[in-house]
Amino acid sequence: MEHNEKADITRKAPAMHRKWGMAIDLDKCTGCGNCSLSCAQENNLPMFEDDSDIPKRVFYLDLMKVTNDRDAQYPNVGVVYIPKMCQQCEGNEPSNPKPPCVSVCPVVATDVGDDGVVSQIWSRCIGCRYCQASCPYEARAFNWWKPDYEGRFKESLNPEVSVPARGTIIKCTFCSHIWKRERDRAVANGELDINAVLYTPACVSACPTNAMVFGDLNDPNSEVSRLSRDARAFRLVHSIDEKPADEQKRLRGIKNYPNPKVYYLTSHQWIRDMMRFK
Amino acid sequence: MKKIDRKDFLTLAGGAVAGGLAGTVFSGAPIDALQWLVEWTQDQYRPLDGREHYLRSVCDACPDRCELSIRMIDDRAVNIQTSNSACPVGQNALQLMYHPERIPQPLKRDGRKGSGKWTTVTWDQALTDIASKINEKIQGNKRHLIAGINKDYNLTSALLDRLIAALGSKNSYYEAGLEAITTSSLGGVPQYNFENTDYILSFGARILEGWGPSGSLLKAFRGWKARGTKLVMAETNRSRTASMADEWVPVKAGTELFLALGIAYVLIREKGRNSGGAGFANWVTYISDYTPEQVSSITGVPAEKIREIADAFNRAGRPVAVSGRGAQGISSSSAEITAVYALNSLVNSPAVTLKKHTGLGTPPMSQGAAQAYSSAEPKKGLDDFIKNGEFELVFINEANPVHRSVFGSDMKTKLGNAFVVSFAPLVNDSALYADYVLPSLSFLETKTTAGDAAVAPYAQARHAGQAIIDLAGKIEEIRGAFNWQSYTDLIREGSALGAAGNFAFNNESLKSQITLLKKLLSEDRNYPLSLIPYELPMLGDGDGLAFPYILKNIDGNTYSKKKLWVMINRQTARDQGVSEGERIDIESSRGEIGSVRAHLTDTVAPGVVAIPLGFGQKANTKYAEDKGVNPKEIMNAEIDPLTGNADWWLTRVKID
Repeated sequence: MEHNEKADITRKAPAMHRKWGMAIDLDKCTGCGNCSLSCAQENNLPMFEDDSDIPKRVFYLDLMKVTNDRDAQYPNVGVVYIPKMCQQCEGNEPSNPKPPCVSVCPVVATDVGDDGVVSQIWSRCIGCRYCQASCPYEARAFNWWKPDYEGRFKESLNPEVSVPARGTIIKCTFCSHIWKRERDRAVANGELDINAVLYTPACVSACPTNAMVFGDLNDPNSEVSRLSRDARAFRLVHSIDEKPADEQKRLRGIKNYPNPKVYYLTSHQWIRDMMRFK
Repeated sequence: MKKIDRKDFLTLAGGAVAGGLAGTVFSGAPIDALQWLVEWTQDQYRPLDGREHYLRSVCDACPDRCELSIRMIDDRAVNIQTSNSACPVGQNALQLMYHPERIPQPLKRDGRKGSGKWTTVTWDQALTDIASKINEKIQGNKRHLIAGINKDYNLTSALLDRLIAALGSKNSYYEAGLEAITTSSLGGVPQYNFENTDYILSFGARILEGWGPSGSLLKAFRGWKARGTKLVMAETNRSRTASMADEWVPVKAGTELFLALGIAYVLIREKGRNSGGAGFANWVTYISDYTPEQVSSITGVPAEKIREIADAFNRAGRPVAVSGRGAQGISSSSAEITAVYALNSLVNSPAVTLKKHTGLGTPPMSQGAAQAYSSAEPKKGLDDFIKNGEFELVFINEANPVHRSVFGSDMKTKLGNAFVVSFAPLVNDSALYADYVLPSLSFLETKTTAGDAAVAPYAQARHAGQAIIDLAGKIEEIRGAFNWQSYTDLIREGSALGAAGNFAFNNESLKSQITLLKKLLSEDRNYPLSLIPYELPMLGDGDGLAFPYILKNIDGNTYSKKKLWVMINRQTARDQGVSEGERIDIESSRGEIGSVRAHLTDTVAPGVVAIPLGFGQKANTKYAEDKGVNPKEIMNAEIDPLTGNADWWLTRVKID
């Protein structure tokens, strides 16, 4: 039989080279809300009778309206919208990437994949909420109630995302099901290299102003990687980034910093100031 | 044959049980049962699977005509991506299309008006009954009491306009949106070339927050930085657009008109600019009082700043001055729209043109209709019509004047006494008062210029334009004016734009608006504060409240747990004795809205209360009903002489 290298599934899978990350340019974000709407639609987010009820509602992407009006007075104020989802942290230690949420999970329902995405497996979750408590970004939501997709709303549900059960934690996974879909397509075309496929999460593809950029942080030529090194870039409540390199190293030795993979860009100092612990 | 004894029997029976058990275990049935148990105990829903495929289509909802790629699972649409993904209408289409409260077939009122009790009827029954009601009006010589109210300019509105005209009435109105008020002020809708402009001067138009053609606007925005396009925003409160602008010019509440006059003064007197347009010479004499110094004392903008803006606007090659305050709930006076448009005209900007919706032209009329038509005296605009007009039979095409007009309660009363036909996919506050609600389509169910509809229409819902053609077919007198089989014959003509007539300066309107505005701006001890509206992302002026995924976006400082919040300037709140989270009532000369909470923030100007639009609906599905209060109930209701609509942007109020 002729040996076809590409179709030989016994061949050892190539190592993962990707490390998915996101960059959000707040100077370009108008706060239109398309990202959050598109996210909710793609990920079958639970609907309740009144989703304006803040303690009850569940979302992955929080479009935060932030102003500096505590420190500044009219007219020296600013308004910015910050789309905030799971920041896909990976901790300090490269050989053992464990963000706060993964460290505390007693049932391995959440873990950092070799692609850098923090997974969450609904059906493994026992609902202890440790991860929710440990998350510095409040990016995890707990399903207190049974989702209520009334009537025909069920017809718009995406079959690739299972509907989370009541009593479990859910969160953004960078739409990794879309990556899986793209990979499956590539495999069907004979392409077995897992690194051959790029994808775009729902929020990023819905952004009308290209404020959100998604890609491979390991690829130095990717736009997201370039933006993460931009002078305007910062990470939410991650002020260690602003310290000198040796000080950073010392601090990392004594404390586990989340080390998120979502970068924000702004040209306004007040936004940086608001987004760090003082 | 060997006799089966007890021992054999037990062996056989034991073997059968063991085999059955082994079979059950290895068949995987226990796993399935466990799965079922898990799902049952957790009451979990599993989305239906099916064949995945993609459909290409075009969104005809606005002139941008975004290309769509729709992800389908069998015949269900589960995701929409657009070429510029710029518009919440596109993203939200799935929630509208699959809304559990979509109207499946025509509804006939069954109870008193506004009770929300309906019986379902067939299309034929509904249209026949409506046609007979129209024939009654024709025979009773009450043609002038037939009216139509549209939301936006589109194919359906063009058909409804034609229907109303063919029946001999001129009572065709549009809700006071951007296009309606600019058309009545300028004779057309200004078309701004945002893709290719170098200087944008916005007078309260929140152009990055859903204003106007938001799809193409946001697409153009991507290129502004690279091209060096400058955005200058004159606005009272710090909106997101003001925050994103290169320069924010904070003006005192409601004084955008005077700033425009001040800039016009500099352009004319100090830069020697001149404008075409009838009445310009007179207009110049009216504005001669508005020197930068004078304007500075009214608007709070320094005189040098006014000169600086005028100079930059004058030097720019392709500047645009944009009017129409707000994001989706637009309100500006005709004087303001004219004054801002005059700036474009003064510098002769190549980036602004005036276009007009052509509609479908005047239809052929019967003798009776032609007579009634020629003697008809329509009102200038919808608010004027609601307040001072008369009607006995009215069509409401997707519009919602009961909620959106400042005369909503008058409208309720008048709808209660008239025969009302409403086209809508969901029962909104105005459809609640209808005798017939005819279910219309979401845009994915509509045939487009690109071809067939992506998804089959829900139940018996029908394109509203089709319903109008079908209705006309049942009325002997006007059948000839609707020689189309289907709305699809008209897809290209329905929303076409043509050249507008010459724009003119209306000095009477300027005079009366200035008088009104000065009265409104003068110190009033009874009503010391200014009430100014704002809108939330996607929620706009209210339609978005019907959708759970939009409700998820509402921030806690606006609405949560049945409480609506308003924003008050920190110092002003202190002066008024109001603290964060306190419950307050807001009162204007028109009335009072109660029980809103105060959020103290310096993003609003001193002396200003900012209140979100869109809340306080009585219907529009269970998701929207009874959430918050509708500020339109107390907002300023002086009707503009040219637009015929109230300029409700600024209202003098006090708080308790």
